[in-house]
Order: sequence, then structure tokens, then C-alpha cells
Amino acid sequence: MNPFQTLVLVLFGGLAVLTISAGFGGMVRKRIVAFWLAVWALGAGAIVWPHATAVVAHALGIGRGADLLLYLSVLTMFVAFFYVYTRFRKIDRELTLLVRRLAMQNAAAPGEPAALPPTAASADRLSDVGQA
Amino acid sequence: MTAAWQSVVESPSGAALVSAEALRAQQTFIVVAAYNEGPCIADVVSELRVSYPNVVVVDDGSKDATAERAQSAGAWVLTHLINRGQGAALQTGISYALARGAQYIVTFDADGQHDVADIAALLDPIARSEVETSLGSRFLGGRRSAMPPSRRVVLFFAVLFMRMTARARLTDAHNGLRAFSRRAAQQLEIKLDRMAHASEIIDQVVSSGLPYTEVPVRVRYTDYSLRKGQRNSAALRVAFDYLMARLIR
Repeated sequence: MNPFQTLVLVLFGGLAVLTISAGFGGMVRKRIVAFWLAVWALGAGAIVWPHATAVVAHALGIGRGADLLLYLSVLTMFVAFFYVYTRFRKIDRELTLLVRRLAMQNAAAPGEPAALPPTAASADRLSDVGQA
Repeated sequence: MTAAWQSVVESPSGAALVSAEALRAQQTFIVVAAYNEGPCIADVVSELRVSYPNVVVVDDGSKDATAERAQSAGAWVLTHLINRGQGAALQTGISYALARGAQYIVTFDADGQHDVADIAALLDPIARSEVETSLGSRFLGGRRSAMPPSRRVVLFFAVLFMRMTARARLTDAHNGLRAFSRRAAQQLEIKLDRMAHASEIIDQVVSSGLPYTEVPVRVRYTDYSLRKGQRNSAALRVAFDYLMARLIR
């Protein structure tokens, strides 16, 4: 086993430990833990037995095992980007709804003092809410 | 100067009746989204209030005295604690105007580039029940404005883009001066917080099936409005946000 294989195997081992501890800690659901453990195991397998990827690649009609890994990596990146983007949009939307609700609750009529004290910076406005 | 909303007519018995125009002005809420517009917001609100008493300014997390100046000038002021973008601010103002019983809602830019006199022309076809939405157009009616050539090119492609994506046959896109009936405003749900909201509004107006029209309006390009307005380079970001939103509903 060459130094690179050793390094990556240690990395995958560490990730597996983190995944399992997150599962035991109740932060991640069991099937998600199983999914990531499978990903780390497959990665470790591809590192220890590089020719195995070539066998799978041939079976799928792809020339080299390295190409198979490259395609899978790109595909995974796209899926991950899409997932993160949709999550970001959801949180962004919820933040806007929250800001809107606060703005409507604290609407200031002409000539009346604002429900929230006027401040110079938006950061101060946030701290005002925290102190309310 | 007698404000339009203060004008009254006498009935045969001598009782004061509010004219149709004055009633309409009272039922109209002007929604202004403002971000760091301290230098001009008071003038814009004061000019609006000569004809329309109900002005709602949504201070979108400004770092200057926009909110205080708008309120001193006689506007309702809603404050976004953090900056959420013009689209988010407009939706906040529209929701608030609806909650206060607005029958007509007009969106108006905070940088003073619109002409208050154009609002009546936008409201007319809605008041006559011909349409539910009036969209301002810089390219109708032969009015010439000192539009920078680069802006003209970007707007040409924006109009083409809206024609292809939303099937909207319009002469202008991204014009901030619009008027909605209560019914049309209730159907609006602006989800694109940033500048792509202008495309989203057109999309929703068209897909609602409610009748709409374009009305010629004047846009004053001042150094201030050009500095505050969208940069031409933002067009690609707007297109990306709009298309992604259509992809991921």
C-alpha cells in the first residue's frame, strides 16, 4: 500500500467515525448514516482495489476506472450544488418572511414614533430586537 | 395649492361630497421601497402626498436616516431589520397596503425618477374596470428621455427575454412604476427578493389571466438615479435568478 492510499484510508476512516458518532448523537438519521458509510466504504474500496473501478467502468461501457470516478464526482457535485441551492433559497425565503412579519408588526404611522427606535446601522437594529 | 384628495364638490343640499378622483386618491396606497435614500426620500414622499395621502415607505435595512425622513414627510414606514432587496420590500409594502384596505396600489421608485403626474394615467384604466394592472412604459407615447444608450440596449434584451419566457408582449421591462387593483395585488406573491422581482411581477401579471395594459410614463435619468439604479451588468444575475426560480418553484 503506497503512502497516498494510506493517507486517504485514514481520511475515510476518520469520516466514518465522525458519521457514526453523529448518528449515535441523534444529529443524523440512521439511513443517512448508512448512506454516508456506504459512500466512504466504496471510496476506500476504490482506493485499495483501483482495478475494481475498471471492472465496473467496463460493465457500464466506460473505458477507464478513473473516468468513471470523474463522471461520478462531477455528477455528485451537481446534485450537491442543487441540494445546497434549494436549501439556501428555502432559508432565504424564510428569513424574508420573518423580516416582513416584524416590519408589519412594527409599522410606524406618519407622525408617530417608530415602534423600533431609529438607529444608524442595520446591525444595531438586530441587536434592538434581541434586547426587546 | 389644493391637493387633489382634498377637493370636494357640493351636493344640492349643500353637503360636501368627495369627488370620484379624491375618493380614488384616498383609496390608493403608494408603495416605495427605499434603501439608503436619505438624500431624496423626503422630497419624493412630500411630492407624492400632495396628491395621494397614503404613502408606504419600506425602509429596506438602510444605514442612513431614510426611515426617519420618510416618516417626517408623512409616510407610513415599515422597516426591514436587514436588507432583503427591492422585491421583498415591495411585497412587504403591498401586503401592508392590502391590510389597510387599499383599493389601488402603486409601486413607485424612491430615487425620484418617476413623475407623480403619471400615476393618475396608470389608475384611470383600472378605475374604469378595463384592466386590473397598469404597467409603466418608457417607450410608449413618443416621450423622449435622456436614457443612456447602454441602458436602452439592456432594456431591449430584457423586453425580448420577457417575451420569450413569460409571453409578455410589452414595450418596457423593469419599470418600477406600476398600478394594481386590489384584486390584482392580492394575486401577487413576489418571491424573488432582489432585482429579478420585476420579471417575476410581469410573469405573474400575465399568468394570472387578469387584463393588463401599458401606459406611457416619463423616467427622469439623473446622476443620482443612475448611481442608485441597477447596473447594466446586473442583467445576467437577474436573468439567472429568474430562470432558476422558474425551474425550482
